[in-house]
Amino acid sequence: MSGPNVKKLRSKLRIVDVVSQAVRGLTSRKLRTALTALGISIGIASLIAIQGITEANQADAKAEIDALGSDFLFITPGTGVGEEAELLPYASAMLETHIDELEYVAALYPVDARARRNELVPEVQTGGVTVSALTAADLDLLEPVNGSVAFGRFHDTTSVEVPSVVLGSLAADRLGIRHLIGHPTINISGTDFAVIGVLNEFEILNTDLNRTAIIGLGVADTLFETPDNPSAIYAQVPPEQLDEVRDIIPAQANPAAPGEVAVSRPTEALEIREVIDETFARILQALALIVLAVGGIGIANIMVISVIERRGEIGLRRSLGATRKHIASQFIIESTVLSLLGGLLGVAIGVSIVFGYARYKDFEAIIPWYWLSIGLAAAFGLGAFAGLYPAWRASRLDPAEAVRPAA
Amino acid sequence: MSNAVLELRDVSKSYAGSPPIEVLKEIDLTISEGELVAIVGPSGSGKSTLLNMMGALDRPTSGEVLIDGSVVNGLRDPSLSGVRGRRLGFVFQQFHLLPGLSATENVATGLLYHGTKGRARKAAAREALERVGLGHRLDQKPGKLSGGERQRVAIARALLGDPAIVLADEPTGNLDSQTTAEIVELFLELNEQGSTIVMITHDQDLARSMPRVVEILDGQILDGADPADHDPADHDPGDDDLGDEPVESELEAADGDTNEDDAS
Ligand SMILES: Nc1ncnc2c1ncn2[C@@H]1O[C@H](COP(=O)(O)OP(=O)(O)O)[C@@H](O)[C@H]1O
Ligand SMILES: [Mg+2]
Repeated sequence: MSGPNVKKLRSKLRIVDVVSQAVRGLTSRKLRTALTALGISIGIASLIAIQGITEANQADAKAEIDALGSDFLFITPGTGVGEEAELLPYASAMLETHIDELEYVAALYPVDARARRNELVPEVQTGGVTVSALTAADLDLLEPVNGSVAFGRFHDTTSVEVPSVVLGSLAADRLGIRHLIGHPTINISGTDFAVIGVLNEFEILNTDLNRTAIIGLGVADTLFETPDNPSAIYAQVPPEQLDEVRDIIPAQANPAAPGEVAVSRPTEALEIREVIDETFARILQALALIVLAVGGIGIANIMVISVIERRGEIGLRRSLGATRKHIASQFIIESTVLSLLGGLLGVAIGVSIVFGYARYKDFEAIIPWYWLSIGLAAAFGLGAFAGLYPAWRASRLDPAEAVRPAA
Repeated sequence: MSNAVLELRDVSKSYAGSPPIEVLKEIDLTISEGELVAIVGPSGSGKSTLLNMMGALDRPTSGEVLIDGSVVNGLRDPSLSGVRGRRLGFVFQQFHLLPGLSATENVATGLLYHGTKGRARKAAAREALERVGLGHRLDQKPGKLSGGERQRVAIARALLGDPAIVLADEPTGNLDSQTTAEIVELFLELNEQGSTIVMITHDQDLARSMPRVVEILDGQILDGADPADHDPADHDPGDDDLGDEPVESELEAADGDTNEDDAS
């Protein structure tokens, strides 16, 4: 006989050939490969971008909170109605005297008046500007609200006694005050007030002060209806004493109904916002995972079509000695490589977005390595899984059937 | 018998159906080393089915297929694939070239499932392409090749790995008569160089140019005469004696001396 024992003959396929055949199979169908991989790319890019952006925002917020210090307190009457719910008249002075730990305490009083540029401008146009009053005892207001003057100056002992006003940034904007040249005035419910200063914008904390026009309480009392009960008290406490002080404030601010008093830490709001950001990011990432899964289904779909289209190729390979396993491995590897290509493209896009965002916001870019590896692992797993069924179908094709010319 | 590379013993093949379709009926056929055999018959007579049996692409319903003297039809997939890859070469009517690969790369797939390294595969592929007269087309993709050239690439691929036998199913079915003649010429040349080749065709004229002709009709081998003076009208399937011995119409021509004229 010519050959050795034919029953002992076995086909062999080198691993490098399995991979290079898969790559060949994909590169010879470039457009289809690109479109199919896109679903995976978008899913993974989203996963990474969402995480990167969220982390950058959080790092920034944390830096802001750290810069602010977490030692501010914000005291309000609470939500109840009637006298019971009011803070004590001049409660800020009371707090300052009785609680040694409070470093700065300042109150604002609500003034029932409307501000506009002059009497010719209808009130509606300057809607949204609120008027608040300040006592001579609380001239250090800017400390506990962490504010600063953009131009002009803040109130002093003289200015609170005369019709003069300090504006929040938004209020100044609405009232058309851009500088103090020529001593501009605004009209508050019929009386002209000299603008003596404009504050810098409050970016994160106490943003409602942006819309406020601050006048002296003495003047307010004389001209308008003004209660002696503050609408808000701002205080600053050394962080280590914060919890303790926080507990004793209500009894001092409103002995009649301490339960009504609301004492909050403004930075808490930021921390809550962080948690919300985090939750929102998780929801978006869940959506990205769904996109990823849909991408995987797309791959499975294309691979099934590919098996049908490439019936002849499968038959040829079987005639060249490919075993069922060789055929199956070809399709599984092809599907996995396809998915991984999508994954790598997604990583590139996602990381670019993270860097782009960081640059735009002037943050430091944070690469979310954890989600990056999750994304790639998911692409790998999805690709292999998506290839299973098509590979099984391909390996089950009867060789004689596969080489037969299509009817 | 000592140099039989391929043998069918009492091979029948039926496809499921009601009633089952019996496509091959108790076929006995022996192909010896160095032979060039044409299997000829009208469309639907069972030629492709027969070739699938010979090539271990399908299993007979009954009977035995022997390659290199061993019965292979009971083998499991890995062994059967091994036999196909190592001992058989296939050429198909529709070429079955991979469109993304160059001629050399396509031919090189002939050794892919041998575990041969890429470099060695390519070297062997270039050599085979030279043999079939395509030394100047090594890097062309199939899309740039003519039908005849494509079939030459497919033949080169079938020759890789030195198969015991090359099985060609209507290799000229998609080619014009001029190109058909060239491919037949190539088969004759390769056979002279020692290759054992079985070629299926429905073209009687083409078959006549082959040293040995096996005629098939309705799944049975006709006990015919020399196809050179064969007249299809002479044949009545009922006459066929499908007894115990192999019955074939054979033309054991002295290698090539009478046939080359017919081929060109
Ligand atoms: N998989 C199959 N199932 C059912 N019938 C088949 C199958 N393959 C071939 N046949 C039938 O077997 C007969 C012979 O087919 P085939 O061997 O392809 O003939 P040829 O190659 O001589 O044209 C035809 O009638 C064909 O319809
Ligand atoms: Mg056929």
